[in-house]
Amino acid sequence: MKILVVDDTEAILLLISRFVEALGHQALIARNGQEAINVWRQEQPDLVLMDVMMPVMSGPEASVQIKAEAGATWVPIVFVTGVGEENALADAIERGADDYINKPVNFRVLEAKLKAFGRTLDLNRKVREQSQTLADYYERAEEEKRVVRHLMDQMVNSERLADPQFDYWLSPAESLSGDLIAAARTPGQALHILLADGIGHGLTAALNVLPLTQPFYSMTEKGYSITDILFEMNAKIRQVLPIGRFVCVSLISIDEVGGTVEIWNAGMPPIQILDQQRQVVRVCSSSNLPLGIVPSHSLDLVPERIYYKQPGYIVAYSDGLIEARNADKLEFGLPALLGSLSQSDDRQMLARAQTEFLQFLDGEQHHDDVSLVVARFGMDVQAAKTELEVQAVEARFDEISADFNLLAECSWRYSLILSAHELRYVNTIPFMMSFVKEIKSLAHVQSDVFLILTELFVNALDHGLLLLDSAIKTQPDGMEEYLAQRAERLANLQEGRIEIDLMGLKYKDAEVLKIRVKDSGEGFDWSNASQTSASHTVHPSTAFGRGISLVRALSLKVQFNGLGNEVEVYYLPAANPATH
Amino acid sequence: MTPTVQIEGSVGRVILSGQFDFSAHREFRQVCESIIANADIKEVLVDFQNVNYLDSSALGMLLLLKEKIAAASKTLALVNCRDTVKQVLEIACFGKIFTIR
Repeated sequence: MKILVVDDTEAILLLISRFVEALGHQALIARNGQEAINVWRQEQPDLVLMDVMMPVMSGPEASVQIKAEAGATWVPIVFVTGVGEENALADAIERGADDYINKPVNFRVLEAKLKAFGRTLDLNRKVREQSQTLADYYERAEEEKRVVRHLMDQMVNSERLADPQFDYWLSPAESLSGDLIAAARTPGQALHILLADGIGHGLTAALNVLPLTQPFYSMTEKGYSITDILFEMNAKIRQVLPIGRFVCVSLISIDEVGGTVEIWNAGMPPIQILDQQRQVVRVCSSSNLPLGIVPSHSLDLVPERIYYKQPGYIVAYSDGLIEARNADKLEFGLPALLGSLSQSDDRQMLARAQTEFLQFLDGEQHHDDVSLVVARFGMDVQAAKTELEVQAVEARFDEISADFNLLAECSWRYSLILSAHELRYVNTIPFMMSFVKEIKSLAHVQSDVFLILTELFVNALDHGLLLLDSAIKTQPDGMEEYLAQRAERLANLQEGRIEIDLMGLKYKDAEVLKIRVKDSGEGFDWSNASQTSASHTVHPSTAFGRGISLVRALSLKVQFNGLGNEVEVYYLPAANPATH
Repeated sequence: MTPTVQIEGSVGRVILSGQFDFSAHREFRQVCESIIANADIKEVLVDFQNVNYLDSSALGMLLLLKEKIAAASKTLALVNCRDTVKQVLEIACFGKIFTIR
């Protein structure tokens, strides 16, 4: 140790400092309080042996000054006191001095005290180092949280969560949420909602759910089905997360045009389907392992499908909501959630559940992340309007010009031919949509192009090659039966091909998209059908139903050729609002 | 929670109690490592008799244990699950990859 010895008596000063040096310490000397302060400032000794009564400045005065300047660093000050100095000594100890030793100095006692202070100083130093390390850790953790929070905000994209078709509420247990809610629409305007719950909460849980966002958004935008998206999300999680980490997921798709809801639930609490009176009519329980545990092909990724005739609600939530406990250790529970949902008006359902939840907790902090989604289906006015437009079928092609076919120039062309083998596994339309997205004149009408392409392709594949009969769909459970037959026939498809051409045609100032789809099937008698094409109800049910009516409503002209296995569609993109 | 271990012949039984969540992380790992290192043990039973609560981090620990046990060529079963524990295991569909008795 570096020890400062302060005494105005030369003999004592010499005696003590020699003794200190004999013990292996370094001795510094000062002859009064002021000198002591000066030496302390320069040398920062570990300990001070301080006389009480001295000229210029007394020991107690100097020690107050030294203690003040040392701040958080502990500098033990031991007074060396003569007889009759008890008052000054008591005063000094009250003001922060650490110990005293009587004059004449007993060297055996001084040695013992120095050792004791040496031990305490070591301990003190360790504690300071550790608390510094802790503070560093804390700061680093805060910085990491800040970065992840920013990342999550960017990747979750709260803009898209502002969708009139659903309300959501997310309340993290810590500053970062391990629950994730994301939503996006396919080019065909189906709404995809993702609700995910990563293991634990805070930073690691947030990191667990982050890999989901990228496949969710990019694949939804291209029009992939939720089965395809789940396959990819599972693969992604397995790729990036260590063993023992997994993510519980609900993926919901609401397709107002097709009148279907698809739900896939893995490890999340049961999703409740409510009717218009907000009573539970169906429950979709978890039937799969959470994502990230087993390879994608071992998962059953086929969602539960609901064909709705009446409007209703989908209620999805994380276990943090129903398992939250109040001060009396009571759980909030599902009945309370359903109760509050059933008692409020349409738009107020989520807000009411939220209010009642917080009232229940009464200021108590919930220990897990809480999330809740209430989505509506069968109430979309926009979709209903599309239905009406589908009825109003008319050919607007003549509006452009009769000599269009002769004068139009082809500015670009994209052709694709798939044979039976590729048709079994290539997800054709999402694949083509990534091209359509890149064409500037089409970027803002992706949704229309997606719908037209999907209908034409499905017709060519389902009816042209697979020879499926749409009449099956009208039977009870017909849709399931239809899809089962479709899957079976597709798996066994040995022959056949489908050609798809996209062409950008320039005519005067207009740019028209021409889509041609041809299959190698037998076709149908289109000349007969086209005479009565004013209403979709009389279309031959074997070939097409509302699908082709939808295409007619969206395009300038729909033209069947040859056997009826080739169709050409002309589509005029609406003006792009972004360029004006 | 302090897990205890009972060894009967070639069966090692890990008895858990109370809340099985992240706070039990270290103790659970230590107990499991000792059981995995024991060459005499062929079958590992995780006993939930006295567990009243199980969270998702506990599920993660079970997955880790399953992986390590498989690497050590031992078998694993989850036994004596009460209703609350069973419910959590069911929602996560853990019956598909664990033997639950």
